[in-house]
Amino acid sequence: MLRFKAHRPPLGRPLCAISIVVACAAAGMLVSAQAFMFQIANPVAAQDFRFKSAAFVFRTVGCAEPAKPEITGRAEGLVNGSRQSLALKIVPAAAKPGVYAVIQNWPAEGRWVVNLNGSCAGMTAGAVIPVGPKGIVRESSKLLPHAASDAEVEAALKSAPEQGESK
Amino acid sequence: MKIREHLPLVEAPESIWASIEAALEAKERRRWPSLRWRLAFAVLAISMIAGTLWWRVASRDHWIQTGANAGLTLRIGDIGSVEVGPNTRVRVVADRVDQHRLDLAHGAIYARISAPPRLFFVETHSGTAVDLGCEYGLTMDADGAGLLRVSRGWVSFEWQQLESLVPAGAECRIAPGGGPGIPYFEDAPEAFKNALKNLDLERVLDSARVRDTLSLWHLISRVAPGDRARVFDRIAALSPPPEDISREQALKLDPETLRRWREELAWTW
Repeated sequence: MLRFKAHRPPLGRPLCAISIVVACAAAGMLVSAQAFMFQIANPVAAQDFRFKSAAFVFRTVGCAEPAKPEITGRAEGLVNGSRQSLALKIVPAAAKPGVYAVIQNWPAEGRWVVNLNGSCAGMTAGAVIPVGPKGIVRESSKLLPHAASDAEVEAALKSAPEQGESK
Repeated sequence: MKIREHLPLVEAPESIWASIEAALEAKERRRWPSLRWRLAFAVLAISMIAGTLWWRVASRDHWIQTGANAGLTLRIGDIGSVEVGPNTRVRVVADRVDQHRLDLAHGAIYARISAPPRLFFVETHSGTAVDLGCEYGLTMDADGAGLLRVSRGWVSFEWQQLESLVPAGAECRIAPGGGPGIPYFEDAPEAFKNALKNLDLERVLDSARVRDTLSLWHLISRVAPGDRARVFDRIAALSPPPEDISREQALKLDPETLRRWREELAWTW
């Protein structure tokens, strides 16, 4: 008859298992965390009468502190064959942190897109939004997990509607 | 020159003097209108001033009726203006800092208001348009049927327990004795609009786009309780609700849940 000598298993095995579990949980959290992105909408989404005449409104998602992202933007245009670029007028919604309105300060002629850039805790986001006579052209808007490249902006500009055309 | 010494002297005929006098009198008349004309002008000026004053007094609690070819613009305090179209009957019910209210019997108005919500109201036979910071057109016929079309901001149209929230780009039919219908975006497909008009729920759900969740959101509180789940599920398929929107609470028509859900859906409108 064989007698098996009882012995304690090595300490490394439970620790290894625990480490694997912790690593998997952390990976899961990373995977399910929302990416930092822009979300755009017509002015009614701001629920603020002061923005009723804005070109459009936007907010960021995926930033831990909605009021903290750094946001810049430019209106990029093509007017009578001449390329133009204007700093955007962006107004934060006082009552809704993280919601902003873009007030049109570009001419009512030519083709225009709005190029937004945002950063939050090391993450970046971009958006290229064609604007037509009836507001944003949602179907053609590009919401990006990075700042838009010059090529992306130029491509959007070429296909943007003329301000005098209907979508 | 000595030529004139050789010219004979001739006396001017009497007719010349008469014509000169007549010309002088005519010139005098052109400088100063006759007393008759001055009196007529004064009467006209006084009538116009009196008429304007009468209108300002009469328009408060008294009806304004525009003609077939005429309209006018009403100033609404410091918050905006209302264009009153032809063949329109309207009166000013209240004109205070905290409330401006019109009564539209029939016809068409276009309001441009820049103010916090719920300062400007337009009453009709079939409900009240409540400004939430907006521009809109409202057309009503004498029977109480009408159409609300919003250009900027939001308008709430309210009748008894019914409320339709109509955003820019959308319109809402108003039924006589029935209040506001389901609002819909003007660019919605005709099949969707017709299905909505005919209350064909099946077709409404089938033909709805993401943007038409405006209409579906309103439908959820107007269909039979047994149909609410179908409407909720269709909205969720088109635009997944945030995690904090409870399906159960929405089906119970919890006001806070529905409000938060609408505000989220507006980001897709």
